Amino acid sequence: MLIFASILTVRPEGAGSLKRVLKWLAGVLAVLLLAAFGALCYIAGSPKDAYGMVRYALPHMHRGTLQVGSDAPDVRLVALDGTNHFHLRERIAARPLVLVFGSFT
Amino acid sequence: MGDVVQIYNDYKDHADFLTVYVREAHPTDEWQMKSNVKDDVCYAQPKTLEQRVAIAKDFTARYKFPLPFGIDDLSNAADNAYAAWPERLYIIDETGHIVYRGGMGPFHYKPAEVREWLAAKYGAVKHEAQTTAAPASAASARTSTSSGATSAMTTTPLSAPANSKK
Repeated sequence: MLIFASILTVRPEGAGSLKRVLKWLAGVLAVLLLAAFGALCYIAGSPKDAYGMVRYALPHMHRGTLQVGSDAPDVRLVALDGTNHFHLRERIAARPLVLVFGSFT
Repeated sequence: MGDVVQIYNDYKDHADFLTVYVREAHPTDEWQMKSNVKDDVCYAQPKTLEQRVAIAKDFTARYKFPLPFGIDDLSNAADNAYAAWPERLYIIDETGHIVYRGGMGPFHYKPAEVREWLAAKYGAVKHEAQTTAAPASAASARTSTSSGATSAMTTTPLSAPANSKK
C-alpha cells in the first residue's frame, strides 16, 4: 500500500522526466540529421547533388565480393559494332589483363 | 599520376587492356553534373542496348579512345559481377585470377595503383603524353580541385588523359 502510494506520487514527475528525455532525444536526432545532411551536401557539392547522390548513386554503389585471388567472373560483352559479342575471359591470355570499367558521363 | 590512357600507352606492350562500358553515371535524367553540361556530355540513361552502344560510339569517336572496348548489356551483368559502377579498375593475371582490385569509384578509383602494379612487374615506363584525345574538362575532375568537394564525386570519363586540355 505504501509502495502504491509512492508510485502515484512519483508518476507526475516521472512523466515530466520522460518528456524531457524525449525532447532531448528529438533535439539530438534533429542535430544529427542536419549534420548528416550538411556533410552530404559538402561531399556532393550542393543540396541538389546530395539528393542525386542518395537517389541515384548510393543504390548502385557496391563493394562487391571479389577479392584478390578470386576467379575473374566471365560475362558476355557487346562489341562496339553493337552486333557482335565476346566473353570477357576470352581476353585473358599470356599477359595480365587490365580491366577499366566506366562510362561517358 | 597518369590516367588509364597514358597507362595503356606506356604498358600496352606488356599487358592487355579491356574497357568495359557500363551504365551511365551522370545521365541527364538522373544525377547530372554541371561539368557534363559544360562539356556537352549530355545523355539520358539508355533504355535500349542500341542507345548504350550509340553513346559508347560517341565516346570512342570523340576522344579517339585507344583501348579495346566492350559494352555491358542492359542486364548490367558485368557491372553486377565486378561491382563496377560508376568506375573501377581490376587486373587479372594469366590464370584468370584477380591480382589487383581497385576500390569503388569515384573516391577510390586510382589508376596510379594500376601503374604501380605494372611498374612492379615490368619496370617503370613513361612515354611522352599524347594530347590528341583531349577530353572535356569533366575528364580532369579528379585532378582538379577548383570546385572543392564537388569534383570528388564526379566520375572521370574513360578517356581522361592526365594532361587533358580543352
